[in-house]
Amino acid sequence: MEKEKMTELARALMDLNEQKVYQLVEEKAKNGVSPLEILAECNEGMSGVGDLFSSGQYFLSQMLFAAEIFKNVMNRLEDIMPREESTASRGKVVIGTVKGDIHDIGKNIVVNLLRGSGFEVVDLGVDVPAEKFVAALKETGAKVLGMSALLNFTYPEMKTVVEEVTKAGLRDQVTIIIGGAPCNEQVRQFTGADYYAEDAVAGVNICKKVYS
Amino acid sequence: MADEIKQLFEKRLGRYQATIALEKTDRMPIATGSNYFAEVYSGNTKQETIYDSEKWLRAEEAFIRDFPEVDVLRNNRIWGPLYDAVGCKTYKLPGRDLSPRTQFQFVEDEYMKADEYDVLINNPLEFMMDRLLPRVLGELAEPGSIRARMALLKGGMAQVMMSQIMRNRSLYLEQKLGMPQPMTGFFLAPFDALADVMRGLRGVLLDIYRQPDKVLEACDVLVDEMVNLALATADPLKRYPIFVPTHKACFLSPKQFETFYWPSFKKTMERLIEAGYTIRAYLEGDWGHHLHHLLELPRGKVLCDIDNQGDIFKAKEILGNHLCIAGGIPDSMFILGTPQEMRERVKLLCETVGKDGGFIINGGCNIPYDTKPENYRAMIDAIIEYGTYDSSIDPKPLTGQAEESETPPLKMVTPWEVKLAELGDVQGDENLIRKPWELLEIMGYTWIWQWVL
Repeated sequence: MEKEKMTELARALMDLNEQKVYQLVEEKAKNGVSPLEILAECNEGMSGVGDLFSSGQYFLSQMLFAAEIFKNVMNRLEDIMPREESTASRGKVVIGTVKGDIHDIGKNIVVNLLRGSGFEVVDLGVDVPAEKFVAALKETGAKVLGMSALLNFTYPEMKTVVEEVTKAGLRDQVTIIIGGAPCNEQVRQFTGADYYAEDAVAGVNICKKVYS
Repeated sequence: MADEIKQLFEKRLGRYQATIALEKTDRMPIATGSNYFAEVYSGNTKQETIYDSEKWLRAEEAFIRDFPEVDVLRNNRIWGPLYDAVGCKTYKLPGRDLSPRTQFQFVEDEYMKADEYDVLINNPLEFMMDRLLPRVLGELAEPGSIRARMALLKGGMAQVMMSQIMRNRSLYLEQKLGMPQPMTGFFLAPFDALADVMRGLRGVLLDIYRQPDKVLEACDVLVDEMVNLALATADPLKRYPIFVPTHKACFLSPKQFETFYWPSFKKTMERLIEAGYTIRAYLEGDWGHHLHHLLELPRGKVLCDIDNQGDIFKAKEILGNHLCIAGGIPDSMFILGTPQEMRERVKLLCETVGKDGGFIINGGCNIPYDTKPENYRAMIDAIIEYGTYDSSIDPKPLTGQAEESETPPLKMVTPWEVKLAELGDVQGDENLIRKPWELLEIMGYTWIWQWVL
């Protein structure tokens, strides 16, 4: 998306102009603009943030701050969002930090960016055992499973999750992505996951591909 | 025998010190800061490592027997009973909150509120005692209660027990096994002190947008405290670098780093270097955009550990012959790789990054717990084969400069002068009273600030 064609709200979010974002959202809400339209503009702003990150102009702090602003807007919109409308989504993604590891900064960045890109995210939190991942996949029918880790003792656990997904007969329907500081291609091969996402934007792009 | 051990100790220490100082030595040292693999080498649990210091030491004795080429092995900062005595909430510990075989993990929360900057800035000690500690240390949750006062007593006593354990350990490693420490003492970059335990990452990121001046002022105030913490915990003989793990720099943009992280961090390090110390800094995450700032520090005084996400070749290019760097092997290679892969990687590193010294082969700021012994053996063999510079050199500990620099006075709550004024006069030898008074004051003051880590 070219910057000039962005709406004022999308632009303000992309520029991390926090107060302006809130002010524009309030104005729009007051003028009867539908929450979904407002959300669409914010999604556009969040993709702008993702693009700036990919091109090396933004860093993790800016992604986190954008996610924070976006989350506040979502909270505000929830009050006025009709129930049925809020379920419209680009696709479902199940995500969590694997068992034994309680870190979630990286995972949360991905979750917010996915939500900002219009995905419905089932965030299982941290220290998630394999059976919980499998149950969530069954329940939601999500086509993507994202596993996050910060610590390097989690390799066997990630492998276990992939094996459990296979045992549950879901492997063909689910694309499995791993990400986080100790991951790389060698780890992906070991775990049997489909993709290793080097950063949050790469992860979101894989989800977009799966659901395209 | 004792002489042989002493010689071995001096050779290892000399090799390590020369490498940090970018001076010539016989071979590349095998000198990881955090050797988690060694801590559990006898099959002991991670819980035993932090609760049963005998078992921990036995593990490392076995490790040294099998890998005698290793040049340093560290003391740990965490001793479970101290954390329990005060109910420290910032770590989940193996055996207590986690399975005995899972590693300890840091838990972040917003322990300082967004509107408390002025309290911290105006009176850091009051901030620590009245605001932060009662929130971070669960046993102190109700200040003034019997339980809270008991916890402070127990915390002080546990600290003395822990110091004794670490001191004995360090002496045993030195005198029986000829093993120096990779680092002694610790501090944080002021921004991290604020961003780890106090505000947390989310909090501090909001602050740099919403109240940037307060963040800067707080970092300035914390320089003094971090210098004090480092000097109070460092090796009095100045043989070993002081340890600083860096946590939040990797999240910042270059501009944010320059503004919020670097100035106070630089000031802190400069003052420690002036006091005659070297520093071992874990540059956690990817520091690629920030590395060049380290060139502003004096040459050969800081050992920089490059993490998994960093690029060791780029780090060498930037820091070049100015600072020693460590790293180069992804954690996954220790755990999932093969001896052949390891050998090739070490060879490549020795022939490129390490060819002129100033380099230590390491994982990303650690050797993982789950390292395969055959991969570690392959790493050592390859370092000896490809990382030997000049066998005719007999490494000896560096002498001179460090001893000459004077250590600045350490902080106290009630300095001796105040106490003496209260006493009016003392009848006997003042020094006999003054020295232990000051020692205990310094210990107490340090105790308070260690909880920022």
